[in-house]
Order: sequence, then C-alpha cells, then structure tokens
Amino acid sequence: MADKLIGQNYTTPDIVAKVTGKAKYAEDFRVDGMLFAKLLLSPLPHARVKNIDTSAALAMPGVKAIVTVDDLPSPVAGASLGEGITASTLSERGLTMEPMYHGEPILAVAAVDELTAAEAIEKIEIEYEPLPFAVDPVESLRPGSANARTQGNVWMRPPAAPASADGKPAPPPRPDVLELKWTADDFANAPAGHLPLGKPADEWVVGDIDAGFKEAALVLERTWVGNNTSHQVLEPRSAMAYWQNGKLFLHAGTQSTVQTVPNVARWVGIKPEEVVLISEYTGGGFGSRIPGYIAMAIPALLSKKAQAPVMMRITREEEHYIGRARPALHSRCKVGFAKDGRVTAVDLFVVTENGPFDQVGDGRSAGDTISLSYQPKNMRWRGVNVLTNTPPRGAQRAPGGMQGQAIMEPILAEAARKLGVDEVEIHKINAPVGKATFGAANQRGQRQYTTSAFVREALDRGRELFNWDEKKARSGKRVGSKVRGSGVAVSAYSAGSVGFDGLLIVRPDGKVQFQSGIGNLGTHAIIDVHRVAAQIMGVPWDQCEVVWGNTSKHLPWTCASGGSQTTHAMTRAAHAVGTRAVQMIQEVAAKAKGGSPAAYKVADGKVSGQGGTMTLAQIGQKAIELGGIYDGHEAPDGVNAWTKTSVSALAGQGLVVAAKDDYKRDGQTRSFVVGFAEVEVDVETGKYTILEYAAVADVGTVINPRSLKGQTFGGSMLGIGHATSQKWVYDQHYGVPLAKRFHYSKPPSILDAPQKYEWAALDLPDPETPVGARGIGEPPVGAGCCAILNALAAAVGDDAFRRMPVQADIILTALEAGHAVHEPLTANI
Amino acid sequence: MAVIRDMMPVFELFQPASIDEALNLLDAHQGDVWVLGGGMDSFDWLKDRTKRVSTVVDLSQVGELRGIKEANGGLEIGAMTTLTEVVHHPAVQAKFRILAEAAEVVASPQIRNQATLGGNVSQDTRCWYYRSGWSCYRAGGNICYADTPTAINREHAILQQDRCVAVSPSDTAPALVALDAEFVIRSKGGERVVKAEDYFLGPQIDITHMTVLRPGELLTAIRIPATWANAQFYWEKVRDRNVWDFPLVNVASAMKLSGTTISDVRIAVGAVAARPLRLTAVEAATKGKPRTEETASAAGELAIQGATPLRYNAYKIPLMRNLVKRAIRGNAQATT
Amino acid sequence: MDDMNKTEETPNNPSRRNFIKGVIAAGATVSSASYLFRTNAAGQTQTASAPGSVERLISLSVNGQERRVDVMKQETLAQTLRYKLGLTGTKLGCDRAECGACTVLIDDVPHYACSVLTHTVRTKKIVTIEGLASPEGTLHPVQQGVVDEQGFQCAFCMPGFVMSAVGYLKTNPNPTREQLAHGVSGNLCRCQDYDKILTALMKGAENLRSA
Repeated sequence: MADKLIGQNYTTPDIVAKVTGKAKYAEDFRVDGMLFAKLLLSPLPHARVKNIDTSAALAMPGVKAIVTVDDLPSPVAGASLGEGITASTLSERGLTMEPMYHGEPILAVAAVDELTAAEAIEKIEIEYEPLPFAVDPVESLRPGSANARTQGNVWMRPPAAPASADGKPAPPPRPDVLELKWTADDFANAPAGHLPLGKPADEWVVGDIDAGFKEAALVLERTWVGNNTSHQVLEPRSAMAYWQNGKLFLHAGTQSTVQTVPNVARWVGIKPEEVVLISEYTGGGFGSRIPGYIAMAIPALLSKKAQAPVMMRITREEEHYIGRARPALHSRCKVGFAKDGRVTAVDLFVVTENGPFDQVGDGRSAGDTISLSYQPKNMRWRGVNVLTNTPPRGAQRAPGGMQGQAIMEPILAEAARKLGVDEVEIHKINAPVGKATFGAANQRGQRQYTTSAFVREALDRGRELFNWDEKKARSGKRVGSKVRGSGVAVSAYSAGSVGFDGLLIVRPDGKVQFQSGIGNLGTHAIIDVHRVAAQIMGVPWDQCEVVWGNTSKHLPWTCASGGSQTTHAMTRAAHAVGTRAVQMIQEVAAKAKGGSPAAYKVADGKVSGQGGTMTLAQIGQKAIELGGIYDGHEAPDGVNAWTKTSVSALAGQGLVVAAKDDYKRDGQTRSFVVGFAEVEVDVETGKYTILEYAAVADVGTVINPRSLKGQTFGGSMLGIGHATSQKWVYDQHYGVPLAKRFHYSKPPSILDAPQKYEWAALDLPDPETPVGARGIGEPPVGAGCCAILNALAAAVGDDAFRRMPVQADIILTALEAGHAVHEPLTANI
Repeated sequence: MAVIRDMMPVFELFQPASIDEALNLLDAHQGDVWVLGGGMDSFDWLKDRTKRVSTVVDLSQVGELRGIKEANGGLEIGAMTTLTEVVHHPAVQAKFRILAEAAEVVASPQIRNQATLGGNVSQDTRCWYYRSGWSCYRAGGNICYADTPTAINREHAILQQDRCVAVSPSDTAPALVALDAEFVIRSKGGERVVKAEDYFLGPQIDITHMTVLRPGELLTAIRIPATWANAQFYWEKVRDRNVWDFPLVNVASAMKLSGTTISDVRIAVGAVAARPLRLTAVEAATKGKPRTEETASAAGELAIQGATPLRYNAYKIPLMRNLVKRAIRGNAQATT
Repeated sequence: MDDMNKTEETPNNPSRRNFIKGVIAAGATVSSASYLFRTNAAGQTQTASAPGSVERLISLSVNGQERRVDVMKQETLAQTLRYKLGLTGTKLGCDRAECGACTVLIDDVPHYACSVLTHTVRTKKIVTIEGLASPEGTLHPVQQGVVDEQGFQCAFCMPGFVMSAVGYLKTNPNPTREQLAHGVSGNLCRCQDYDKILTALMKGAENLRSA
C-alpha cells in the first residue's frame, strides 16, 4: 500500500538547510568582482528633480556606475502588475525624476563596496522643485486642497463617450487619475465624528437598501479609521544580478519563481527567455512580492552598465519605502438588523488611501468580503481611491478583506449586544452557506457564488473549542483594575485559482522528480502539493525529489503564491499530472510487457500486470527508449506554453509527464476562518493582554496539518497586529513618515502573541476541486484582527474606539471620557 | 549633499584599557570624540549618519568600569555593567529590586546583554523628529517639530516642556532617582558626584543635552546608598509592545512604612518630561499618611498638576496619575 | 483640528519652505569625512604606539576556529561574518537591533551581531548558526527540535531564534513555555508563527536535556 500523504505531517526537504544557515537568500550569494548598490531617496513627498550633479560621485575611486530613470525601459501601459493591478503611464518605474513620496528612489550607485557607494550618494547634488502634496486622503478631498499628483487626486472613470451613431453605448472608459473634491457642504453636513459622504468614484448596489433599512429593528452607523501597515517581510527586497552569455541572472526573493520572469523582463527591457531567476529561499512575502518587485531591475541595469555583478542590499528603512504596505480604509458604514440579528441592509462608503500609483483593489474587496461574510440581501457599496504621497501600496494577506471585516465585525458585535442575541448566533444567522452569492451583479445580472462554505459548522466547533459560553459569562466583569472580554469574528477570502500545470519526471534511477514553480516563501505549499501526485502515483515519499527555485531548471507554469491560490491551484495541477503519470506508466508498461495499459496497476513504486512487474526505474529507462511523448521530445497538448518549453528542455531524462488542471469548478473558491479571543484590559493603564485565541479553519481537505495550524496562527497574528499595534505615522505638514523603525511601527513580538492558542480545521472537502483543498493564507487575518476588536469592545464598551490600532492610549482616554475621543478622521497618527 | 541612512562612516577607534587611558584620550581629542559604551544608542546615530565624529573611544575593554560592588550596605555599579548583569545580581535582587525590575523590561534580551547601566541613563531621547536628523532645538536649530499644531506627539512630554517636548526614554533612571542614587563622574581634572535627579537636564537648563556630562567627562559608576535597601518598592512600565518599546510612562517608588503609615517615600516618573521627574510634592503630601486608596488617589491627582497635553498625548496625564496612584498604593488591586 | 490651515506660515508654525531647505541640506553641517575605504583607508592610521589604539588585522575565534581578518574600525560583527568570513547564516533583517535575525553567541551570550563592533570581540568566542552542528553534520539538539516539529515558515528569522534559544538554554535548561518565550523575545518573526516556533524550541530544549 502506498503512503497516505494527504493530511499527514512530514518534514520538508529544505528545513535542514534553513536551520544550519546553509539556505541562501538573495543577499547570501557572492560572485567574484561583485559591486554594491545604494539608492538615493527623495527627501521630499513630491517634487520635480530639476538637476542632478553626479560628477563628484563619479570621480570617486571605486564608483563604477549610476543609473537613473533614463536607464530604464519605457513603461508598458496595460501590462498586468498582478493582483488585478494594470500598469499605466502613471505606474511606478523604480527610479524617477518626479518623486511621489518621501523615500522614493531617484537613482542608484554601484561601487566597489557599500561604504564607497554610501559616500558616493552623499556627493551627489540634486536640485528639487517642491510640488504640492497630500498624505491624508480625506484632507485631499476638501475643496481647494492639494492633489498628490499633477493629474489629480483620485482614480475614477472619465465621463463615458457619447453613444455611437448606431445607438450602441460606448464601452466604459478605463479609470484614470482625475481631480475630485467634495463640497464644503459635504464636510459641513457630516455629523460630528463621522466621515463626510461626498461623491464616490465607483459604486454598486444589490437589492433595495431603503427597504432593507425600513424593515430593520436596529440601525447602527459607524465611522472607522484604518491603519496603513507595511508588510515588513523580515528579508528586505535585496537582489543581486549579473549577466552571462547575454542572459540576466537574478537572485531575489519572490512569491512565484515562474511568474516573476515576465515581469523582470519587462522591468529590465529584455525578453523573458533572457532571464534566469534564482530564488531558492524567500524571507516572507505576504503579498509584497507578487510576483517579484520592480526594484529587481536596479541591480540588473547597474550590472549591465558597470559590466560587473551588482548586489543591492536593501535596508530596513528603504524597505519601509519600497517594500509595499496595506492601504488604510476609512469608512462610514450603516447597517440594519432585524430583531433576530439578521442583517437587512448595509450601506458602506470607503475611502482608500491609494498611495501615489496604480489603483489598488482593497476598497472594492472590502465590500465584496462584507457581502460574502454576512450575506446582506440589500447592500450598497461606494468608494473612492484617493492618491497620497506615501509609499506604494500592494496586496497584503487578505487585501481589503481584513479591512472590510474590521469595518463590519464591531458593528455586528454591538448589534448582538443591543438586540440580546448571542454573538456566535448573530454570526451563524448571517453566515454564508454552500453556494453563497456575494458582491455586485455583472452586466447580465449574475452574481458570483462560492464553491462551498461551512461557516456555521466552524462557529459551532469554535464555540466548543474556545469554551465560548463560559468566557462570555465573565466578559465585562471587572475584577480589581482588570476587566476581561471575549469576542468572535468570521472572515472570508479568496482561496484558489485554476488552470496551471504539473510537471514531473520518472527518472531512470527510479526517483520521481517534481518540478515546482512555486516561490519558497515559507508556506510549505512548495513541497506539500506534490505529495498529492505522489499519493496518486503510489510512489513512496522517500523516492520523490522536488526541484525548485531556479528557472534554468525548467519549471511548469505555476500560480503566484498570493491570494491563497497555491494549495488549491497546485493540488489540482498535481492531481492532473499524477493521474496522467499513472496512465503513462501503464502505457509504457504495456508497451514493454504487452497487454492492455488499463490492466496494469501502479502502486508501491512499481507497475504490475499480466506481463510482469516493472520498477519505476525501468519505466524511466523504457520511456527514454520510446522517446516521443514519453520522454518529452513531444510536448503534450493542452499545457501552457511555458510548460511546453520546460518539457522540451527536460526531454530525454526519463518519463516526462506534464498536465494541465482542466477540472471543472462551479463557483469561486473562498476559504473561511472563525476566530475567538479573550482579552484582559487594565482599566487604569489601558494596556491589555490577549489571554487566548482560538481559530477554526474551513479550508477544505487538510493537506499538511502542522503547517496549516501554523498558517492559521501566523495569519491570525498578522491581523492581531493590525488590531493592537501596527501603524504608520505621518506628519501631514511636512508629508514625511515618522514611524520608520520597528519600535515605532510596532510589528508584534512573541510576548504580544496570545498566551494560549487553540486550533481546529473542519477538514470538509470542497466539492469543486478534486483534492478538496482550499487555500489558507488570507482568511485568518480578518479573524485574528476582529476577534480582538470584538473582545476589547466586550471588555470596555462598544464606544471606546473608532480606529485601529487600538493601543493603550485610546482605551485609557476613552475610559476617562466615557466615549471614543480619538480624532475621527485624521490618518496615520 | 544627498542623505543616506546606512553604513557607519569611517572613524578612528581607540580601545583604552583603563579609565585613566580613556580620560587621556577624551582630553586629547576634545570636541570631536564619541564615547562608545554598549553602543545601543550610538550605532543608531552613526549608522544613520546623522552624527559623525572622527574618533570613537570604546570603553568595552575597561574592566574597572564593569561590575557590582557592595559597600556600606549599598552598591556601587560600574557604568559599563550590562543590564543583564544588573538584573541577575543577587544584591540588586535582594535589596534594590526596583532596579532589577526596571532593567529587566528594557528593550530585549540581546539588548540587555549588551546595553550598559551607564548608557541606559545617558542615552539620548527617542523623539522621532530629532532622530530623523531634523534641525530642531535639540539638534541646535530653532524650532521644535514635535510641537507644531499638526505634529504627531503621542510619545512626547506633558510636563516641563520648554521649546523642546522630547522625553527621557530610560527605564532605569526613575528607579535610580527613587533609590536616591549618586552618579560618579570623572574627568582628567578629577571626580564629581551628582545626585541621580541632578544628573538629568531638562530643556530649560540645556536644550541640547540630556545629562550634565560634559566633553572630557565619563560616567564611571552609579552608587546606591543603603538608605532604601529593602524598602517597599513599586515599579511599573507601560509600553505598547512587550519587547523593544520605550515607556509610554514608567514609575518607580521606594517607601518606608511604620505600621500602615507612610513614614518616608521617594517616587519618580519617566517619559513624561525630558528628564525623569522626582515627585517631591507627592512625597511631601504622602509622608505621614496611611497607605490607603485615598492617599494614593490624592497622590495621583497631585502628581499631574500642571501637566499640559500636546495634541496626541493627553492620555499620558491619566496614565501618570494612575501609575503614581498605584506606586503609592502598592500592588494591591484597585477597588474602584 | 481638521480645518487647520496647513499652509499658514507663522513663527510658531515652521514653514514647509524652511523645512524643505532643511531636509535638503541635512547632513551638510556635519563633517564631510573623505571617502575612505578598503584595506588602505588612509583615515585609519596604524598608530600602534598610542595607548588604546587598534590594529586592523586581528584574529577572531569563530565557531572554534581562529580566523585572521582585516577589519575596518567601524565594521560590525554582522558585516565581518557575512562579507569577510562567508558566514551568511547570520541574517541582516534591520541592522538596528530590532529584529534579532543577526543573533550570535559571544562567550555563550546572545548578541545582535549588527550592533557589535568586531573590534570589541577580539578576545571572545563567537558562535554562529554554522557552528552549532557537529563537523560530521549531526544537528545541535535545538536545531533537531526545529526539524522534528517543522518549526518556522520562511525561516529568515530562524538562525537568530535558534541562537537565542541555545544561549538562553545555557542559563535555564528546563524552561516553561512562557520562560522560553521571554528568552527568545528579542527575535521578531514576520510570518508570526510564534506558536509553532515555541513548540519547536521547546522540543529543542527537551532534545538538549536528553542529549
């Protein structure tokens, strides 16, 4: 009997290298004659560079090259930047003559060592013409306020062109950067403490919200100020590049080994086949390197210019600028509830702090996530992405989803208390079930729906695991200066894509070699998914090898490890290639031994049938002998073009099997996590402790329990950090960041984590994918964040806070005043 | 000249073996010399290239600056003694527990393994404007960026603001003030000894220095008298994260009781002003009173008299009030 | 607050214009040290006769070996290890003593290698992550604990955490989970997998006790 691999813990093959320090991350590579790059960053939030004098720097011994934006290829409008962001002429370029934020790189120097490069930067004289700037989105909507860009301050669609002569309406124009100012009345009419509601840039409606509010027994309305949070991956986005035989060799961390290549080619201005990416280990991603990052072009271009390898070590402060961040959403949300807690209507307005470049999707995603998680029949979503002169935003684990949940969950918990409904019950009554619809309807009036959802089961499991009823009974009761509170939250996010390829070789030495194009950023999915194919093929795991981390090793077309795609997408691809491999092994056996392929049984690392038994080594040898489709000399139909190229390159090495995930899927794959938390607040200081956190994951079939538990906790902690401490701080007058250091931006330490962690996974297979597995990366984040917010409100009251993070100062001030006193609108304080 | 916040600039390094050698070096390089203790403050300035010197005198090899000696019922702690050594020293633990408690919540284990007691009390303020290299009052300029109408000053001063609103970030400083410690300062010219509360300077006295140390001088030791050995101590630090972070407010008190009556008390608060503040009014008002919730509450109210919030730090006023209340009340739980 | 006129320029409201001048000129007033680098840096004179002066060519004890190395005066131990001795297991995550990725043992005590001048550890014994396993490749019991429990995710923080744990366990070989959390609290993990990290390091402690 073959190993049962799915659902079992195991040791990944890369861990010994990691724990002995042998694992090489980008900055750990050394090449003879390697130069070192340093960046010159803009000191101003928005300016035009009028003149650059590099003469003194270039005259220094040891300074080898300087690159500016003039050395970059022209921008390609319309290219996909990942995560649904499309490049435009307004996109980030990597280097610039019009810096859009304090810290944006203007040029880069390569020199013989880091010290020389740093001293060269100081010898460069730059003349700036300061331009107007904005670092607070709501401020930039005020009449007469400054815009972040000369083109305007918001992303919105220009007015549609008139209908053509035959009466057909013109297609809606693409969003562009335009100016949008709300009126003085908009601001004057906002109730105290509330976000003004001016003109949105975009909106959608389902149902009839007026009718929904009419039938409500309770209507709550809240303004909520979110936090911008840098990804702060622990490995900064350092990169090293050199050129050999006309090819660029690039060492860098990424969330997709394969999909980074076309981006690098575009950023550097070469063809994808001229790029070799080496990315064996990546020190965290969380969405900040999907796929790759534009700064990869800098050492590549410096290396070309200086004709020597170039290492660019990125500092922690530089990482704060170019390392990406989750955008803050500032919102006003009105929610109607029936007596039993059912949500009757949601009216949501979100202002997204967009940063200076392309439109980010968090605001819209927040609306979709609310629509999915609480299933309102009637909902209006309105939003505007306001440009700010602050570092570029990007997707961060549960982009928009976590922020949406943070808008909605405290309202739900307050409604439960006001209506006398248990908080777990109010989540259950509103929970998505099965093929649950969500979001806006398309032009044909159809709405998206999930492949499956078992949120009620997760809530029931969590209630038990966390001992909710007992903990709830002690919520809000003060003992001495301490008061405890418990909260529960549901979160949801996308959890899988389709259509990628699996690729493996049954080698003549009997090993099965899996080609993995997944980025090795620590989720273990890079190895996990191939165990699905191994199990289908009945090959013992110790007979398997995984090849990853280097595009010259010929990898299959693979999803980017973002948006929790990988476990879903690549177990499907693994299922496809494993199934195809069994067929091909049967065919090879039948050709070698006679008889019908179907009569051969593939198991235990062997194939047996009427003609006898063959080892996998013999299969590999026979496949080479057969050639053609068996050893890769003919690539299979149906797989992606990238994979075909890899198959050809691997031809002759054994039985080469490639297959594409063509499995049907009815619905959109979404995963769910419910979180429970108990906090203890010291009402004399406002400081609190997280006593316990429990999470239940509805993520389909469990592939690797130990890693799933770790992902659930790690993702929850990222959300917890948003609730408790992480933030940006901007001085609005000067437009510059103040919280550049960890002790100001406050990523949680091990002593800020919950003192106790309980976990369960439902392990109910998703019916729309052959292995049953969905992704886990995103959904815990909102659960962690909001379980804490709701526990805090249970402890100190629903009116204590209206912004994140909720730190001691906010709680103490609110307890003193009897209501939330922090400024309702100002961002980044 | 463009700015880069990376790579320490070149400097000449001296590693004297004795205090006398160190003082000779300070004297020889007057005006352009940086004293390196544990380095936990120094490296920030040097790596950010916001402060530069041609010469660094590293005290790491001066054995006589390190160690804890018991003397006359009190202690003499070498300035280069690490915080970890302070935390674990049996006499500190046994007799002057607030100092161990204060040292134990500084930053992180690795920092405590390297940071020195002398450095912890002598470190510069952490104001994020000043640390960004802006030319504010404290940096020799003529404005305070943290005290403009739009400034973000959540972690700044509520008391004794005078143009500059930065705060003292030290955790051990309030404990040493409460213990009535003395700081031994040596220069080529000799030795002077100052009371802990007089070691620290507010901006009204000197806006560019946090302490009385002058060029050519070294803080060599901190003496803790026997006076407050085994007193009733209270120490508390409130910070955002439980590792690394500087105090939002901290408090240290030493108290002697006769029965339930407070016969003597010293109390100091940190991170509310540019220097750790000894609360003499609270001490005076509390002496002779019973150690009760009422006395404690009155002490808290008295402590914050004259406190003035900036735009974002009003919370520090109730926080200081409550911490002073607790420090007088002791570890008993609040009843209200 | 919200209607504060942000562009008003009064003596109490420092102007953006002055600020801009300030930031552009920042650093201009400090000494503009001449660019000195590499082994023949002229600024770092060999004043061997002066008391306290420092030789650049030094011996370092690293992982049980004496290594001769030419060290700049301002060089940090992390730089020496990573760029001169080829020991890249010591990671640089922040270079400011705030993340712990560079943690090494100096005379058995965990330190941030980013915040130690190499010249201050001439006489000390330095152990890095590369020095824990035996020369034959047998993992240190704490490393084995990480393997046993599949601890950590991206693992960029892992060498630092392991060094902190090894150092801490020398002072307390039988810690509670909470004590060990305090022991390794100077290390930041951004995958935030603290629960599994502690499980792995507790297993390491157990391995160490039975070793």
